[in-house]
Amino acid sequence: MNDELLSHVLHDIEKQIIKLLQSTPNLTEEQLAHETKLSMDQIRRGVEWLRQKSLADVTDTTNLSYSLGKNGLDALKNGLPERKLVNLVKDGSKTFDEVRDSLQGPDFNAAIAHAKKNDWINIEKTDTGSKISLKQEPTESQDEHVISLIDKAQKPRPDLVKSLMERPDFVIQHEEKTKTVSLTEPGKNIDLEKLDSGAIDVEADVPHMHAARIHPLKDTINEIRETFVHLGFTEINGNLSQSSFWNFDALFTPQDHPARELQDTFYLKDLNAKQLATPTQIKNVSNAHKKGWRYYWDIQEARRMVLRTHTTCVTIKHLADKKPDEARIFSLGRVFRNEKLSFKHLAEFNQVEGVVVGKHMTLRDLMGIQKEFYRKIGLTKVKFWPTFFPYTEPSLQSMVYNEKLGKWIELFGMGIFRPEVTKPLGITKPVLAWGGGIERIAMLKFGVDDVREFYNNNLSWLRTATKCQ
Amino acid sequence: MPVVELSLSRLEKLIGKNTNKKQILDSLPFLGLDIESLGRNVVRVEYSPNRPDYSTDFGIALGLQGILGISKGMPRLNIRKKGNYEIKVDNSTSRIRPFVTGIIARNGSLDDEAVKQIINMQEDLHFGLGRKRKKSSIGVHDLDRISFPLKYTTTSRDHRFVPLNSTKESSISEILRDSEVGRDYGLILGQSAKVPIITDAKGQTISFPPIINAALTTVTTKTKNILVEVTGIDKQSAEDMLSVVVAILQGAGFQFSQLKVSGSKNSTPDFAPRSIVFDADPVNKILGLTISNSMLVSCLKKCRLDAVRKGKKIQCTIPRHRFDIFGGMDIVEEVALGYGIDNLKPAWPASVHIGEKNTTSEKLDSISRLMTGFGFMETLNSTLTSEQILYEMTNKDSSQIISVISSKSQEHTILRDSILPGLLENLSKNIHETYPQKFFETGIVFSKGSPIKETTNLACVSASEETNFSEMKSVLQSLFRIGFSIKCETKTLSEHALFTQGRVAEIIVGKKTVGYIGELDSKVLENFRIRTKAVAFEIKLNGLIFD
Repeated sequence: MNDELLSHVLHDIEKQIIKLLQSTPNLTEEQLAHETKLSMDQIRRGVEWLRQKSLADVTDTTNLSYSLGKNGLDALKNGLPERKLVNLVKDGSKTFDEVRDSLQGPDFNAAIAHAKKNDWINIEKTDTGSKISLKQEPTESQDEHVISLIDKAQKPRPDLVKSLMERPDFVIQHEEKTKTVSLTEPGKNIDLEKLDSGAIDVEADVPHMHAARIHPLKDTINEIRETFVHLGFTEINGNLSQSSFWNFDALFTPQDHPARELQDTFYLKDLNAKQLATPTQIKNVSNAHKKGWRYYWDIQEARRMVLRTHTTCVTIKHLADKKPDEARIFSLGRVFRNEKLSFKHLAEFNQVEGVVVGKHMTLRDLMGIQKEFYRKIGLTKVKFWPTFFPYTEPSLQSMVYNEKLGKWIELFGMGIFRPEVTKPLGITKPVLAWGGGIERIAMLKFGVDDVREFYNNNLSWLRTATKCQ
Repeated sequence: MPVVELSLSRLEKLIGKNTNKKQILDSLPFLGLDIESLGRNVVRVEYSPNRPDYSTDFGIALGLQGILGISKGMPRLNIRKKGNYEIKVDNSTSRIRPFVTGIIARNGSLDDEAVKQIINMQEDLHFGLGRKRKKSSIGVHDLDRISFPLKYTTTSRDHRFVPLNSTKESSISEILRDSEVGRDYGLILGQSAKVPIITDAKGQTISFPPIINAALTTVTTKTKNILVEVTGIDKQSAEDMLSVVVAILQGAGFQFSQLKVSGSKNSTPDFAPRSIVFDADPVNKILGLTISNSMLVSCLKKCRLDAVRKGKKIQCTIPRHRFDIFGGMDIVEEVALGYGIDNLKPAWPASVHIGEKNTTSEKLDSISRLMTGFGFMETLNSTLTSEQILYEMTNKDSSQIISVISSKSQEHTILRDSILPGLLENLSKNIHETYPQKFFETGIVFSKGSPIKETTNLACVSASEETNFSEMKSVLQSLFRIGFSIKCETKTLSEHALFTQGRVAEIIVGKKTVGYIGELDSKVLENFRIRTKAVAFEIKLNGLIFD
């Protein structure tokens, strides 16, 4: 798309070209440039636009020009070999050997052949060898004529040059392609003066406009937040930096669990939480670990600050502090994993987690809420498989079918918080939780196959990214 | 999640009774096994870390038999008490690795594939349950090379034997220094002068736990009878691990004899199953089902547990290796699996709840809408960034830096204390795109507090040849007026690392500084390779429009 192709019927460049061609019908692009004082580049663009609009025709012609090669320059100075030959025999016939003294190698053969062709000489076989004698006064040959024309920068006819072209390095041929522009009938009939009346080309292409936009991932986050609210969930939030206590211990993750190692979790250097939780909460969590995992539970380990590995730490703290009998809450935001970045893994990404608390809540209800959630964001084919999460039991994962990819994709996980998690924190009603990464959904929505794209902030992508569902 | 590679034709044979590959593939996910990749005959599945028995096809075949209804209930385990297999534990081990347990498995046959599966199991157990061999570790030996009784004791680091996969004798110190396993796991033994060792009645070394076995007892495809020993720092987890091995070897067709263990707080392992008695009612309630007690019993049996009706209650018997079952909720999951997750129909809970967004989210939303209205594109950057972007390129003071430990990515080593450097980085990456470029971002920034303070900031930047301070101040003022209904002032600031002297101001609301606004310093722009002018502001939103 050329930005110059604005809405006027004809661009000023086009008008200038048309004006010129209406008075001088056939002109090359060079001539047009010369006459209009426009650059070659402008002329080429203008001609191309006119051609697309069927206002002008372009004929490609190839012009041949010639210059003298090494042998040609020599011939200009000293004569062609055949001229040299006739000069030698001008004053009387000579034998081959005598001629060879002056004309050697290929020159000799060429001289004989061309002098004979020009009908300048006779060759007579005698006892002492072949003898060359002048047949008639040699006039200027065609080849000589061509050489002198080229020397005078005049263009010889290509058919005349042919014979000289066959001889080595006498003439160099140059091909030059030129475009000759002429107007078509509609082009000839354009009334340039009338065009300036203000009519515009309403059908012409126009430049794209860049809108300032909400980031595509944020757009998905907003949609998911709205959907949770529609389903009756209330948003809670909490810090990105958390004590290990709420991120791990309160969720019954033993202190020697592999997930707590440096290679999976970001620990903050030299930072420990001073206040963890209420003394009862700490005591009960500690006891649950001792009973369930049989080890010495170390409060210092629980004080270590981490970047939260899930939003569950926010949910569990809310539940432990509020102990609701019934609730629908959700928490959404950044979570962190010490991962190598790849097309499917980020060190920092977004997660959402919803929790339903209620005396009569069932696993089937949780599946139903999830199915409704997917329906609302446009994912209609859903199925469930069993899986494992350390702090829920039973645990399920949901799969949604992606028509475009033609396969099932694992999305949110879900489950009922283990009693080992809820009991020590004084939560007595069943807590059903579900959630997962948001980037995955955004990838489906924006047809992105490398998750890093969301954080590249590549302006051309931000300007053009489109939602596919 | 760990992964195991399975041969479908082998699985068919192990399951027996006319099963086909399609049936197997359809059923795997309903055992909680995710199909990771599928070849003509090979399928790779992810299994849950709480089911180490699924680390081999033997264990998976047992699960599939149940769920397909081919063979239900708990496989019976027979352990012969006769025989003179014994290991005596020396007190000296109590300071370094106090517990040992084991089993004798006989009359089995291990082909290449079976050996591969057993190795996979061993690696999985070492990594997960064994906490990288620290908590417990396994040794598998050719029984026929060993004379009983065995001794579990300690020895000095100059003790010599021929380690596995070697033909020459090495000292313990040499093994720890020169071999890969030695270097990987040697730290478990710390600086202790004495290290654990298992020797047989002839005084031959058979194992140096938790590092390496002796070459003497190498298991090959010709091996028929094996000894499995597990050592560890926790008796129960060593026995847990052994029980998984026994369940798998049972699936592989071995017969068992007891290994008597005695001395120094050790005892012979007990493989007796446990029982849990429970009410059917709460199980039905939590699943949202109304299935009969006999159906419940059948569901549990499909999960290779035993169950009987006891009056109104149900008694469930759990084999030793299912130590992942803690209590009632785990039974609920087993019932759900036996019932078939596919048969659980999603329901819609009737309840009235009014959902609500968090105030912060709502206010940030309205800021985003206003900023895009002003023509600014929203960008998103990580809160984890690099020293280079946050401090070096911006010439900012880095004394209050907050770092994470051992990040795998150089671009994610510290927490941002402001958003603007990220926006400059965004401009830097887009210098080939058309101008003007205008970006904004809202998000969390961090500062040291007790122990750490998180606040939400807004930053925006405008870059083009024509931009200037007034343009940005117009945006700032309009944002405050329309968005926040707050009046703000800008007050000359003598200097700021990011901005040009004489073209930078503090943003004041009431009497408090809430941010900075200015034209970016040419040095800073140069560091980011930005070739146009740029103006920016950043404000702290906490205390301004939310707490």
